[in-house]
Amino acid sequence: MSQILVNGLLTGGLYALVAVGFSLVWGVMNVVNIAHASYIMLGAYITYWLFHLYGLDPFLSIPVSMAALFLLGYAVGSLVLNRVVRFGLVMTLVLTFGIDMILQNGALLLWSADYRSITPAYAGQGLAAGGVMIPYVRLAVFVLAVLFVALFSLFLSRTRMGNAIKATALNPFAAELNGVRIQRVYALTYAIGAALAAAAGSMVSVVYTIHPQVGNVFLTRAFVITVLGGLGSIPGALLGGVILGLAESLATVTVGIGWSEAISFTLLVAILIVRPQGLLGKRFFGGVG
Amino acid sequence: MNGSSMGRRGAGLILGAVVLAALVLPPFYLSGYWVRVITGLLMYGALASAINIMVGLAGYPALGNIVFFGTGAYTVAVLMVKADTPFFLALAVAGVVAAVYAALLGAAVLRLRGAYFSIATIGINHATSELVTNLDGLTGGGRGTIVPFFPGSIEAERMFFYFLMLALMLLATGTVYLISRNRLGYGLRAIKADEQAASVMGVNTTRYKVLAWTISAGLTGLVGGAYAYWLAFLEPPYVFDIVMSVKVYIMAILGGAGTVIGPVVGAFFLELLSELIWGRFLEAHMLVLGIVVVLVVLFVPRGFVDLAGRLARALAGGSASRRAEGVRSDG
Repeated sequence: MSQILVNGLLTGGLYALVAVGFSLVWGVMNVVNIAHASYIMLGAYITYWLFHLYGLDPFLSIPVSMAALFLLGYAVGSLVLNRVVRFGLVMTLVLTFGIDMILQNGALLLWSADYRSITPAYAGQGLAAGGVMIPYVRLAVFVLAVLFVALFSLFLSRTRMGNAIKATALNPFAAELNGVRIQRVYALTYAIGAALAAAAGSMVSVVYTIHPQVGNVFLTRAFVITVLGGLGSIPGALLGGVILGLAESLATVTVGIGWSEAISFTLLVAILIVRPQGLLGKRFFGGVG
Repeated sequence: MNGSSMGRRGAGLILGAVVLAALVLPPFYLSGYWVRVITGLLMYGALASAINIMVGLAGYPALGNIVFFGTGAYTVAVLMVKADTPFFLALAVAGVVAAVYAALLGAAVLRLRGAYFSIATIGINHATSELVTNLDGLTGGGRGTIVPFFPGSIEAERMFFYFLMLALMLLATGTVYLISRNRLGYGLRAIKADEQAASVMGVNTTRYKVLAWTISAGLTGLVGGAYAYWLAFLEPPYVFDIVMSVKVYIMAILGGAGTVIGPVVGAFFLELLSELIWGRFLEAHMLVLGIVVVLVVLFVPRGFVDLAGRLARALAGGSASRRAEGVRSDG
């Protein structure tokens, strides 16, 4: 039982990081970013190739994948998304779905559908305590993921740029009157979302086998966690991630692994209906939409 | 005045006859490949019209509407495989099952708006797909299920499915036409414009929305049932396919959501394009399709019908101003 809880908690930390960028983009820009799945996948592949071609430790390649995806995110945000944001949420959802199709199928053409995995020298080792087994890799991923989420939270509350992003989320019109350049904030927010997805993707590649569709599973989780925790809420993403991790871990042993998506989505629909602002959420754009 | 209305009616009759001929004649002249392609176009036309009731008329982005397609498909498959039900009876049941499913879900889910509603529909699609996969005693699960083959020659089969899909498309488009000129249509447009105001004005918004979704789902379920018999082999990912769902949604937007004929035009255009892309870039066709999706959102966000209308107005406006200038120079 305690093993199940530990597994759930460790997975939950990674889920929180997967969700936080998605939640940010949704909360600030009112964009449901389907391409988040591809950004996770690209982050995972960057780490994979740096490990296989140059022997770079997967944890050291995280800054590289974040930087690359930040640039890609900035380009997509400023060149494509900013033109369409005013058409509303459903149009941007469809747009990012198209971007996701392009990136995913591009990856499929480049790297084939093969399942790939990273096995650093320390892969099999772990910590055993009180009948519970904790692999080092998963522990490191958990700690790093929570650290990233915490750092990002500090960035939002302590820096000028972070404050501009928060102001835009609350009221874009008022923010603009106060001299915030909305278009630039949007592009930057989108880029940060992509970079966070890349960090999550790099860590995904250490724990799971990867393939061009690997991001999709995590996208559905990001959806559930964001709705669970509330749009744009960072503590909400942490809490939601851990709840979902635990729920899935428990569901796997009680009703079987085939039902995990059904459980996530039933949870999602139920929460949407009962408490659409999420557990810790304030009403950002989503409450209006 | 009278003469011009007579002329217009004559033109309408001729246009109607041409369209009818264009729809009925192809299977008698074209090759098997093209008959299959056009059958696919008709199917997408029917699906786009069905989703149009929700997206275009009520303004509810039912992005996961494909769940009713899958539900209809599996209803036909299970009834034909497990109970030896004749196809048309199974098809009718499929429509009813999908409609009832929507009615049951609608009461709860239609309280959500905008993106929340669309995400809930995507969630329902995933959950239903997993349910079908897990009930493998009944549905064949992840291994899929083989639906009984059409009993007849290849030519007869080709004709059968062509006219079946044509009938379903006409049914779906006709339904949109009827709804849009009916009390239900006015109520839905009021909901789309401002739901609260509609409710204050005495529109029973919940009843209207649930009714619209029930009709949309019933039609989608019928098309799914027909597809199951046409394809003869089903797997959950084929018929609960979110890519297909988004494609249908894009078709409705591309043609012009809320118009009667727009979604059909959008469906024909995109599916034909997709077929040509498929033929030319077998490997990259999903990638090219993604590019098309992005371009549509960037450049035709309000649809062909709106685009054509604006072009026509621009031309008419141009000639009107020229006339006005002419008058001025005469004076």
